[in-house]
Parts: sequence; structure tokens; C-alpha cells
Amino acid sequence: MSCIYPIGGGKGGIGKSFIAANLGVLLAKQGNQVVLVDLDLGGANLHTFTGMTNVKTGMEAFLDKSVKNLKEVVVPTNIHNLSIISSVNCSMEIANLSAAQKNKVINALVKLPYEYVLLDLGAGTNYNTLDFFLSSYEGIIALTPEPTSVENAFKFIKALYFRKVKQVLGQNDFKLYSQQVEMNSNALEVTSQVIDTVLEKDPEKGEILLQELQKFKFKFIINQFRKTVGTKLGEKIEKVCNKHFYSEFQFLGNVCYDERVHDSIFSKNIFVNKYSYSVSAIDLSHIVIKLQGNRESSSPHTLGRYERL
Amino acid sequence: MNDYKKMNYYEVLEVPVNASFFEIRHAYKEALSVYGEDSLSTYSLFSEAERETLLKKIEEAFQTLMDEKKRSDYNNQLVKNGEADPDDLFRDYNKNSIPIFLAHNAVDKNSFFKKVKKKVGESSIQKLSREILETELIAGQDLKKLRQAIGIELEDIFEVARISISILKAIENDDFQNLPSLIYLRNFLKLYAEILHLDPEKVADSYIINISLLQK
Repeated sequence: MSCIYPIGGGKGGIGKSFIAANLGVLLAKQGNQVVLVDLDLGGANLHTFTGMTNVKTGMEAFLDKSVKNLKEVVVPTNIHNLSIISSVNCSMEIANLSAAQKNKVINALVKLPYEYVLLDLGAGTNYNTLDFFLSSYEGIIALTPEPTSVENAFKFIKALYFRKVKQVLGQNDFKLYSQQVEMNSNALEVTSQVIDTVLEKDPEKGEILLQELQKFKFKFIINQFRKTVGTKLGEKIEKVCNKHFYSEFQFLGNVCYDERVHDSIFSKNIFVNKYSYSVSAIDLSHIVIKLQGNRESSSPHTLGRYERL
Repeated sequence: MNDYKKMNYYEVLEVPVNASFFEIRHAYKEALSVYGEDSLSTYSLFSEAERETLLKKIEEAFQTLMDEKKRSDYNNQLVKNGEADPDDLFRDYNKNSIPIFLAHNAVDKNSFFKKVKKKVGESSIQKLSREILETELIAGQDLKKLRQAIGIELEDIFEVARISISILKAIENDDFQNLPSLIYLRNFLKLYAEILHLDPEKVADSYIINISLLQK
């Protein structure tokens, strides 16, 4: 059974692709079969992180039906055991996938014969990004220690909840319940109030909803970490989220800010390969250990969406 | 969002019901650093009204739990509502300060010495110590045997006598290459012997003679 880790986070430029590429390399180095999937369809550049300039095939071939199986568009990288599904050649309009195409991609992702599937998502909280993220119970949220990024990360989590609640309740019920609460609250508070209302008015349905939300074990990584923000930021966010959301949150670790990340991108080298003994690279390897610790102790992944079909 | 309003004061501050004042004060500061207006860790997570409610509740919790009278009233109320187990509540909360060092694994020296003394009084142990003292040369093996018979761990000796574990191991294995210089060794042996209720001078002398013979 493959482990699917979507990597998202709402804000752009916080290092989602950097984290995806480097975690991928570290996992591959241990002998795991790893595939990176670039799902930032409108702004693909995961291939650049892995040092590839010319990618022959990718997601576009799967989407325009020139190949049937997603497996066929997997391209090996220069790194042993690490492959990529790029979307650099996708057409300009492809960023707006139709619902059918999106479902087709999600269903194909589950069947990829790899031990680890890392999904690099785009910024923002559009439906495609959210649904790709919700395709696994163990999504990784990236953020940087700045108010803007923290804000977007929380917004991202709330948007995920919003999406999930809507999926579980169905369009009609959601409308019904949200009409009851919308009177005096802003958009962000709606989800939590809808959940509260459902719990109150229809406990049975509320229970199902809670069970669905409790299945999620979100993880987060603080990238570009600087000591000046206080070393406990991650632990505090973890605690707060566990207290105020219904799902489980796990802080995987900080990745120290390092000027050389820019060098490695410029020279099209993977950071953890070029500077394997830097503090940031060691931070990343600790994160990998923590991820794998989870894998051993928990039951194998199942995809929420897939399970329901 | 989980309902914050339903939480009791202990849950709000995340302390056990028998927490000391020291722990409560610490938890209060921690809560303020998380929920305060300029906290990065909850930036934008709550609306202004929500944050205000949260901070008010934290303040209430702190004011109540830091006041002995108010706290006991509140505890009684919790028990009445079935929210707390009276056994936990009325277990004396620790009013003393908490040692900063070795808070978790400190060996309580007094109880340790008492335990050893009691054990040494047993006839089998006394016989063993007599045998050891009667031999002319004492080897590390003998000391180890006695220590294990009494049921002392190397870590316990480290805690009470501050002799490092590696040196203790070297002593017990007659590993002369890793033993400290003679003057230290003598002192360590005496401390070790005292813990085992053996004659310190005799043990140090016999052990050192034995080790010098081995070395040759």
C-alpha cells in the first residue's frame, strides 16, 4: 500500500515544492520507491528542483487521454529510486481542471505502484487543491514563521474543513445548515458553526461528520525557521490545533532558514544532496524519521474519497 | 472548533486537578503566550470576539485556581457536577517548590539508604559480605555480585555518589586500562564500599593490590 502525502499550505513561496523534492530524495535514498507528483498545474516547477530541464512526458498526456495509465507518464530523475510526474507541459488552461478530470487524477494516484507518493500542490484554496489534499488522511501543511503564512495556513485548514463538511453533508444539507448560522458571522466561522449546529440538531449525522474529521492526521512543517521567532512555535500551534479542531495535528519539525537553498536551486541541485550536512538538511532528515515512525505505528493509509466510492 | 466554553478551568490551563500554584502560574503564562493578541501561533485563527472570550476564560481560571478558598469552592462544585474525581482533587497538591534538576529520575537518597540498610541486614547478604572481606584480594566481580544481591543498580550509585557509570563498570570488570588514576580510584572504591556497607579501607587496599597484580 502506498503512502500518499500531499503537501500544501495556502500561501505561495513557503517551500512546498522544496519540501516535496527534498523529502522525496531522502525517502528514495533509503531504498524506497518514491514518485513526486507536481499538481501545481498552472505553476509547475517541481522538475526544476530535481534538476530536470527537459521533461518529455507528464500529466498532460494523461489528461488529454493520449495515455491510459498514469503509470506511463512517470519519468525517472537523476536520483536512484526517485521518479516524477511533471506537469510542466500542461496547457495554459489546464489549471482549471473539471471535476471529472480531477477525480480521474485522484483515482489514478491511489493506484500508483510506489511506496511513497508525494503530491506537490499549488498555493491558494481552490477546490482542486483542496480535493487533492483531502485525497489522503495524512496531508502535510507547510508554513513559515510569519503572520502572513500562519494566517494562510489556518485559512487552508478551515477551507479543508469547509470542503469536507460540505462533502459529508451533501450540498442540500449544507445549504440548509449554513443558512441557519450565516446571519451574524464571517465566512471563516461558518464551518465551525455548521458543525456545532449539526451536532445539536441532528446528533446522528453530527457523529458521522465528527468521525470523518477525526480520521485526518494533519502534519505540518515550519520552513525557513529562524531562532528569533521562538523555538516553541511549532509545539504551540500543534497544541492549539489539537485543542480547537476535531482532527489530529502533528508537528513534524522546523527546517532552518539557509541561504544555500537559493544556491542549490540556481545550480539545479537538490539541496539535501548538495549540502547534506547542513543544519537544514539534517532537519529534513529528522522529519523523514518522524514521518516513518508514524507509518509503522498506524494502520495503512486509505483514501477517504476512494473508500467512499 | 471544539467548544471552549464547556471546558473546566483545569482543562483551560491544561493542568492536572491537583496542580501546584507553581504549575498553575506557569501554565497561565504559557496560555497567554499562545492566546495573546500578538501571538504568532494563533494569528488569525480566532475572531476578535472569540479571542476575547478565550482570554477572559483563561483569566478567570487563573484567578480562581490561584486563590485557595475560591479553588476549593470550585473543586467542590466540580465534584458535585461529577466532572472531577474527588480522589484526584483532594490528593494534596504539591505546595512545595519543584526542584528544577532531576525532577523525573532523582533517586531519593534517604529512602535509598534505608532500603540498602534493610537489605544488608539479611543473613544471606551478611554471609556474602563476610566472605568478601575474608578473602585477601578483592576483585571487581565480588563487588558486583554483592551489589546485585542487594539489588542496587549502577545508576543508583551514580545518583548518590556521583561516580560515572563507565568508571563503575571499569571497577567491576577489573578493566585497569579504563580505571582513573590511583588517588581517584581509591576514593571511588571507598565510596562504593560504603554504599555496600563494607569496610572502605579494607576494600580499597585489597582491590588495589589485586589490580596491580593483574596488571603485571
